[in-house]
Amino acid sequence: MGKRVAICAVAQIKNEGDLWYARFQNMLKECFESIMGQTGVTFDMEKGIRNVITCSDDVFDARTISDNGMTDVVGAHFRGEEKMAQESINGLGYAMACILSGHDDVILYMGHCKESQTESRRMNMNLAFDPFYCRPLGMDFINVNAMQARAYMKKSGVRDEHLAKVVLRSRANAKKNPFARENAAVSEKDVLNSPMLADPIRELHYYPVTDWAYGMLLCCEERVKEFTDNPVWISGYGSSIDSYFLGDRDLLSNFSLKNAAERAYKMAGVKDPKKEIGVFELCDHSAYQMPMWAEGLGIADEGAGGKWIDGGGMEKFNVNTSGGMLNGNPLLLGGAARAIECFHQLSAEAGERQVKGVKKALAHGTYGAAGQHQAVVIMEKGR
Amino acid sequence: MSLEYDKKDCFIVDGKLALPYTYFAGRVGSKFITTIRDQKKIMGVKCNTCGKVFVPPRQTCERCLEDIRNNWVDVGNTGEVVNFTVVRYNDGHLPRKAPYVLALVKLDGADTPFAHVLDGLKPEEVEIGMKVEAVFANETTSTILDIDHFAPSRKKKVQVSDRAPAEKAPAAAKTKHQPELDERRKAMSKKVVITAALTGAATMKTQNPAVPYTPQEFAEEAYKCYKAGAAMVHMHAREDTGMATHEHARIKATHDAIKDRCPELIVNLSSAVGMGKTPEQRISQIVHIKPEMASLNTNTMNFSIVDRKTGKIFIDFVFENTFTMLQDFGKAMEENGVKPEIEVYDMGGLDNTLLVMKQGFFTDPMNFNFVWGVAGGQAFRPDAFLCLKNAIPAGANFTTCGVGTDQFQAITMSCLVGGHMRVGLEDNIRIPTGEMAKGSYEQVEWAVRIAECQGREPATPDEAREIMGLKKR
Repeated sequence: MGKRVAICAVAQIKNEGDLWYARFQNMLKECFESIMGQTGVTFDMEKGIRNVITCSDDVFDARTISDNGMTDVVGAHFRGEEKMAQESINGLGYAMACILSGHDDVILYMGHCKESQTESRRMNMNLAFDPFYCRPLGMDFINVNAMQARAYMKKSGVRDEHLAKVVLRSRANAKKNPFARENAAVSEKDVLNSPMLADPIRELHYYPVTDWAYGMLLCCEERVKEFTDNPVWISGYGSSIDSYFLGDRDLLSNFSLKNAAERAYKMAGVKDPKKEIGVFELCDHSAYQMPMWAEGLGIADEGAGGKWIDGGGMEKFNVNTSGGMLNGNPLLLGGAARAIECFHQLSAEAGERQVKGVKKALAHGTYGAAGQHQAVVIMEKGR
Repeated sequence: MSLEYDKKDCFIVDGKLALPYTYFAGRVGSKFITTIRDQKKIMGVKCNTCGKVFVPPRQTCERCLEDIRNNWVDVGNTGEVVNFTVVRYNDGHLPRKAPYVLALVKLDGADTPFAHVLDGLKPEEVEIGMKVEAVFANETTSTILDIDHFAPSRKKKVQVSDRAPAEKAPAAAKTKHQPELDERRKAMSKKVVITAALTGAATMKTQNPAVPYTPQEFAEEAYKCYKAGAAMVHMHAREDTGMATHEHARIKATHDAIKDRCPELIVNLSSAVGMGKTPEQRISQIVHIKPEMASLNTNTMNFSIVDRKTGKIFIDFVFENTFTMLQDFGKAMEENGVKPEIEVYDMGGLDNTLLVMKQGFFTDPMNFNFVWGVAGGQAFRPDAFLCLKNAIPAGANFTTCGVGTDQFQAITMSCLVGGHMRVGLEDNIRIPTGEMAKGSYEQVEWAVRIAECQGREPATPDEAREIMGLKKR
């Protein structure tokens, strides 16, 4: 294709358990002002932002057309504004399409979610299921993920001890991330004794309720110098969705993740992800997903997730230096959080978490029950 | 960046999204669910191109894009557990109290495993590969929960079960006979349900100024009755002039005013409405408003206004309640979740009910009201009361009301033999001393005294719901 899309700047607030004292408009405004300050971008109709993409969810916001509550804050009046009501990582894919198609030069991309607003996020998740066959049974992402976890752990030799390791590592990495949710320190014993939510998923195996917002500025290759000297490039994007009904899917196949990864690798010209990609940021809603997604992306051998953890796979491939979704990002926004960590790593701004010499990074997002939808973005160091 | 905002005087607004919906299940989905409901049989659809059998069924094979909507196959009610989890938390969207097992079951004739609740065994006894079979719900909800759950196979015929309780989900009270429920009912037998019939169609303010006409007057009167010990109010809506009305808006406004003032109270609407109303006018308002309960009249009879002293007939009126109306009104009520209060004016009316109940549309427990002293019905006699009591089906409840001086005699008798009591200005405008009642509530106070003398306590509205088998609010 020859053309590339640049991420010029990113901004985020700290992930928090309960931002009850901040409206989501406030949360977004902090990010918005940071982006404007970092890049000097304007809303000039010729040269500035003419299209804004936002990511939010009607059910979490408890209002229809959740994006209409923040169009003024993100400067969308008299401009194009499109909402990504799916995993935020697809907003990057969409921004990329807007720019590569020549439709837009500059895209502001913002997202928010306050999981703490709802009395029970599980009830929200229940609404993702059809009202005839699934909702009445009480299906939600946690109990459906639990069935995938059971099957996967058996297939790939992943034990409770492995999951404890994933949780401990997530918390340790998050400690080094100033934007990560501050969670209580836990020991291996704490995780192993954590109460079951839905067997075999324990409470500490699932990401905690989190509030967060972010912003990014993307632009075309030709104009990147106007906004930054240190861009990060998006060179590949792939997205895939598996069948809707659980019974129609092979929960162990990683069907949609393999599909998404294959497309992203191909677009970015990645032949061997193990060698070429220096940082992997995975959306692990639950601890079992860390080795499972690693298999799907090709950095762990098929059916060998347990061994991969034992063999130091998470360290070797620099997986989830941010702490990952498991440490706490809101639903929908995990992919954006992953991309922002990749941006910091590729810009050599990751502080204590910095991986040396990273040239390419992979950001992953997943949404739906048992990883039904998967998307992968490949990002590269600027020049 | 951390949001270092001031937290002083920050105000939180409570909100709730509760939007009742009806979803069309689609033609394919409709057949799937109604076959489960009516035939206790699980069907799938087969793609003739790839041979895959889908449960739940769809219109099109997602791989072959073949139209498969008519390729129904019987997949059987037995299958094998291929995956499961034990849900350990309680939440509003869950059909059961924790812990419960959610499983993927591959039915013997299907290719796609199907999620459902697995019950009838301890969570630690569940194993992948175990044989299970569908247990159908006794009471239909016309949803996938018409399969109540799957249970380990017992190779019996079709298994049926009553609904297990959820932590917050509405409890299904309309159940057929079951011993544990009967036990609970026994414990409730000390409780007496007091109903206040605030107005009928005929009693006017000129007879007793406390007769309510406007929704606000109804609401206030209902509230006073509730405070005095009533669990239910029965009402016929009136226009401001006092005329009985069949207008939906007015009836609904009156019903809603009572519920707004006193949300706990059970409101029981009349399906008689008033003189000269058509069958359509009489039942459509019930279907429209869907009160928790409504009266269901059991026989065509004289229902006249007379002078009791001279025996002169002032207004001669035939109250029409044909078999067809009894059947159609009864079905309409049950289908709309309105529990019928079956009005029995004499033994003939009770026999009419016992006849049509063979059709099976009445849900248990049935609730009868023995009505005394209507000019055209029978006068109160203790032995006639016992005849009626002894003739109703086992497990049924009864209450009673009487016109004029029959009122307090009849309710005393009912309370004595284990029944419930209805008072109110619809039936009688006085208290037992002969003085004008200050309102229906004053008669409720007398009814409470009668109950106390017999060692019984007034039931709260929720206790009344449990006794009479109303759905929990």
